[in-house]
Amino acid sequence: MLDKFANYLKNRLAITQEQAEEAVSCLKIKTIKKGQILLNPGDLKSEAYFVNSGLLRYFSIDEKGKEHIIQFAPEDWMMSDRDTSVFNEPSMFYIDAIEDTEVVIVKKDFFPAIKNIVPEILELNILMLHNSIRFMQKRLNMLLSATAEQRYLDFIKLYPNLTLRVPQWMIASYLGITPESLSRVRKDLAKKHFK
Amino acid sequence: MKVKQVSAVLNPPAPHMVGDGFRVHNFFPSGYKLKMSPFFLLDYNAKIEFSARNQPRGVGVHPHRGFETVTIAYSGAVAHHDSAGNSGIIYPGDIQWMTAASGILHKEYHEEQFSKKGGTFQMVQLWVNLPAAFKMSTPKYQGIKQSELQKFPLPNGGGTIEIIAGTYNSVNGSATTFSPIEMYNARLNKDADVNFSFPATYNTAFIVIEGKVKINNTEIANADQLIHFKNEGEEISLFAEENSVVLILSGQPINEPIAQYGPFLMNTPEEIQQAIADYNHGKFGYLEE
Repeated sequence: MLDKFANYLKNRLAITQEQAEEAVSCLKIKTIKKGQILLNPGDLKSEAYFVNSGLLRYFSIDEKGKEHIIQFAPEDWMMSDRDTSVFNEPSMFYIDAIEDTEVVIVKKDFFPAIKNIVPEILELNILMLHNSIRFMQKRLNMLLSATAEQRYLDFIKLYPNLTLRVPQWMIASYLGITPESLSRVRKDLAKKHFK
Repeated sequence: MKVKQVSAVLNPPAPHMVGDGFRVHNFFPSGYKLKMSPFFLLDYNAKIEFSARNQPRGVGVHPHRGFETVTIAYSGAVAHHDSAGNSGIIYPGDIQWMTAASGILHKEYHEEQFSKKGGTFQMVQLWVNLPAAFKMSTPKYQGIKQSELQKFPLPNGGGTIEIIAGTYNSVNGSATTFSPIEMYNARLNKDADVNFSFPATYNTAFIVIEGKVKINNTEIANADQLIHFKNEGEEISLFAEENSVVLILSGQPINEPIAQYGPFLMNTPEEIQQAIADYNHGKFGYLEE
């Protein structure tokens, strides 16, 4: 199913349905079962993933075996590891599927290759890059300066339905707090808002 | 009065796990596309043996809004806790009717002693939709013990009809409902012959929990099969080919738009977004894992 990615491009570029369909026609779809790993540390894969359905997770594992979640990618999100997808260096991270997931594989050469069909695509690529940097800047600031509650409130704004799809410990890992702190935050919010 | 014809006799769809405590066949809405409003979902945990375990299996804290969950125990035992402060254990023959309405958090686990011993487990869980006017009403909990269930003894030792909701032969059911619903457990001895009458417009299905039955003198249904009826005619005859237990469901459809996401069942996408936001902000209360 490539029409979701075609729509994604169409909604961000001044192009026709036909141009969008032609642009994505060369791309491949991949389905991944819940729990299956898409990228391992050490892998060299010059590709990014657009999520058609399901949910991906981008994370590292430290020396003590603890997981640290950098990013979630639900439907309509793109996910990639820049080391391998841009710089041809081995990845240091994992990408796995938290739910049964279908992705469009966007190879590194996709954007240059289709610039003849859609010249604006290079600008979109730059905009997406800026957006990604903005996201990481905000996230970094949250991790350095925000309280657990502020981090949680920011999280539910960005990913409203993930609280229904992801176990508590994964949300805690993303927020850089313990599951106990997350429980406390949720309990405090309930005290404030439950009538 | 005309006979209400069978539209299909359906095998249970492939099972999936809900948490680690319920291995369910989802007859609808995903297993089969059936007209069953006001019943929105039917998960049938067919008989399964659980090994003994100290840490009870089940489903952790999760929210609901906009409907009711009805759990009917046939074998095994389930403990329930919710954010409105209700808790209870249901044993074989008991009913748990939880009105989530404006919002509740709950958790469901195998009861401790059952979990420690292990054994046969068989349950039905239904999601019963609420009319728009009651979707945001106060949550409610009805725990109905087997001994408290209203019953109609069939003549000639044919068995018993347990009236969970609605009315059978002038006996009113034990649970109160927000729209017209008929729900019975028919516990039939071999050769019992029972008749039911539901309005043609009511959506109707029988689930054979045990045994083997013949419907309207024609269709045979075995244990674990669901019999779905057409919206024509009123009269149904049920004959027990063997000692049988049959769950009878019939209800007046709620003709309102449906918007569903995960554990929320509302009328519009905006109400779903609101439910997610309210849940995230703690407006459903709090319940310890």
